[in-house]
Amino acid sequence: MKRLLTGLIFMAAALAQDASGPVTAARLTNALKEPQNWLTYWGDYSAIRHRDIKQINTANVKDLRLDWIFQTGQRGAFETVPLVVNGVMYLTGGEGLAYALDAKSGRQLWEYKYSMPQGIKLCCGTVNRGLALLGDRVFMATPDAHVIALDIHTGKLVWDAEMADYKQGYGATLAPIVVKDKVLAGVSGGEFGIRGFVDAFDAATGRRAWRFYTIPAKGEPGGDSWLAESWKRGGGATWMTGTYDPKLNLVYWGVGNPGPDLYGKERIGDNLYTSSLIALNADTGTLKWHFQFTPHDTHDWDANETPMLLDLPWKGKPRKLVVQTNRNGFYYILDRETGEFLQATAFSRQNWAKGIDPKGRPILNGEIEPSPEGRSMCPGLAGSANWMAPSYNPDTGLFYFPVREQCDVFFSSPPVYIEGKPYWGSVFRGVTEEKEWGLLKAIDPLTGVTKWEFKYYKAPWAGTLSTSGGLVFSGDEDGYLMAFDARSGKLLWRINTGNRLVTAPITYLVEGRQYITMPSGGAVLTFALPEK
Amino acid sequence: MKTLFLVVLCILVPRALPAQTSTIEQGRAIYRSNCAFCHGLTGLGGRGPDLVTGERKQDSEIKQIVRNGIPGSTMPAFASFEEDELNRLIAFLHHLAGSAIATQKPSGDPRLGRVMYEKSGCSGCHRIGREGSTYGPDLTRIGAARSLHYLQESITDPSNDVPQQFEGVTVINRDGKKITGLRVNEDTFSIQLRTPSQEFASFDKGKIKEYRPEKNSLMPAYKSMSKTDLDNLIAYLSGLKGSADAGAKVKQSEGIR
Repeated sequence: MKRLLTGLIFMAAALAQDASGPVTAARLTNALKEPQNWLTYWGDYSAIRHRDIKQINTANVKDLRLDWIFQTGQRGAFETVPLVVNGVMYLTGGEGLAYALDAKSGRQLWEYKYSMPQGIKLCCGTVNRGLALLGDRVFMATPDAHVIALDIHTGKLVWDAEMADYKQGYGATLAPIVVKDKVLAGVSGGEFGIRGFVDAFDAATGRRAWRFYTIPAKGEPGGDSWLAESWKRGGGATWMTGTYDPKLNLVYWGVGNPGPDLYGKERIGDNLYTSSLIALNADTGTLKWHFQFTPHDTHDWDANETPMLLDLPWKGKPRKLVVQTNRNGFYYILDRETGEFLQATAFSRQNWAKGIDPKGRPILNGEIEPSPEGRSMCPGLAGSANWMAPSYNPDTGLFYFPVREQCDVFFSSPPVYIEGKPYWGSVFRGVTEEKEWGLLKAIDPLTGVTKWEFKYYKAPWAGTLSTSGGLVFSGDEDGYLMAFDARSGKLLWRINTGNRLVTAPITYLVEGRQYITMPSGGAVLTFALPEK
Repeated sequence: MKTLFLVVLCILVPRALPAQTSTIEQGRAIYRSNCAFCHGLTGLGGRGPDLVTGERKQDSEIKQIVRNGIPGSTMPAFASFEEDELNRLIAFLHHLAGSAIATQKPSGDPRLGRVMYEKSGCSGCHRIGREGSTYGPDLTRIGAARSLHYLQESITDPSNDVPQQFEGVTVINRDGKKITGLRVNEDTFSIQLRTPSQEFASFDKGKIKEYRPEKNSLMPAYKSMSKTDLDNLIAYLSGLKGSADAGAKVKQSEGIR
């Protein structure tokens, strides 16, 4: 008994020591075992966005109050998800800014400004979603499609690697992901006629280790899904962070829409691997499998939404699953070892598909392509889901996610390709007779059946966070940060943060005290219970 | 059908068509998807003004307006248009103007229309320059902003198109008291109204009995107005072409925020 106790104390000490030193690949794999820290964009490789911390819980969340604010002074969408390790918070702003803050007080420790060329055109602003950590480095993607490494102690530039030429329409907004000794990142530019890819860089040197093109060239497998030379500017952006299964050594990455977005006649075919989920070998970047949600998409329904990894009993047998609330309005369950389609259920209003066939292919509801006169379609261009993170609570067994209820009229006309210019193939406009609205939904991840939902006045752009305090945190388009009872959906706490919320909250501990952080406007807001 | 035919032709044989037609067709596509919503498919106006039979603007002025919008009006800025797209759009506008049949001119007497405006109590809700209420839409430059058809419809059938900022809402308090006003702002938990007495009222959605968006415009429909009176009133309103931010300037000078 004594020996066991000594052993336990020794293990605890070893764990404590590990968790205070530099971030290692092993720590990233076991990120859920460090609930005090938030080590990756998704919080851990599986992207469940759940933390086993219950200091703030259903009983006391009503007392949650603002603890500190950090002002970046920037305007516009603040889409970062801060990382926290050993009491230090690392985050990005727009325009190539990065910061290190004291996670307890919000005081700045360093600031970095990437010097980037003027006149960068991204579809949706020079926003950034955050950083990745490994050892004494933090990694960041830049608006002009570079990946850079900074010294974690000083914010000084260590290396700078170009993914692609921004003058051709490439950009980057995502948080990179570290897998073993590599930094993986993708590109934006699906509206500019790019050819998308996922890149892996050696974390130590910044040298490119591999690249996987999301659009196969003519002659390659899948190359025959593109008419003529249309693959060359076929889009397939990789603008959101992937997830990773260390046991299978597979990286899961959502691929964007085909280009031109709204005009499909010059790219007849399925347009692989756009609007698909791809599984890549983490060491080599080779394709293990792919699954296409929306073949030949013409509504910008990309598949960049979170590919969450869940191990659940499927029809009674434990199975490794990957689930996604897709922009096209369906919730998909796939086998993540093989890519086999298991199930799809509609989670929002949609009028484009009669259903999904047994192979996972949509059964179209008549003619759906945009037209010169305009065609009304649900969901709208922004989709029923988008970059807003879902979460999964193992205690309740429920999957939580925001839903956008909004339709658009889609117009199309043949576009002219000019390098670096928008390549939409016409425009979309919200259906104005009907107001948009939104939902926070809790579903059974195996059946897709709704357990509860909470209605928002507008379609939201904020993600979710789940904790073992029995809470789900999320935000709406009017700036309310809210806490819900994870089991019943009852609203337990809210605050108006004063700006639309466009990222997902995180939680962490410093010196044993739990914090909840949510960026809003140009500010990082951090909440805690009053100190006793 | 003709449009469709032309578009199909463009796809099949883009180089076989005269460059001019192609430019106009490209301009038509840009116009349809960006402008027709307010200015109508033929440019004769709707919620937005007539673009084809009124006074001609210089190309450079049109570009300036499209790029920057008109501050203080509902004309938004289309900042992302490239120069060649603007040129195609303008080519199409000239094409529309060339094929427009009749010039729109009001037939009534604006002086009698003004009398009608005052007699009908319009200023109880509307404002022209410094005169009237801020409850309903400011009419200081309504003649420049709306087509004649739209003006007429706004008087006889105002519910046909209610701009978002003038949508009516009725709130019923727990004590049964009804308050109707214009929706100034609303979110998941609260709603703010502008009342006919030009005051703000704010409600917590969780603390009221009922909340009902009004289907119809809060403006009464003047369906029984004689044709002569209506023509006169439209003639008066269509002549109101004060600067776009006149209302804002007046409010500023009077310290209204």
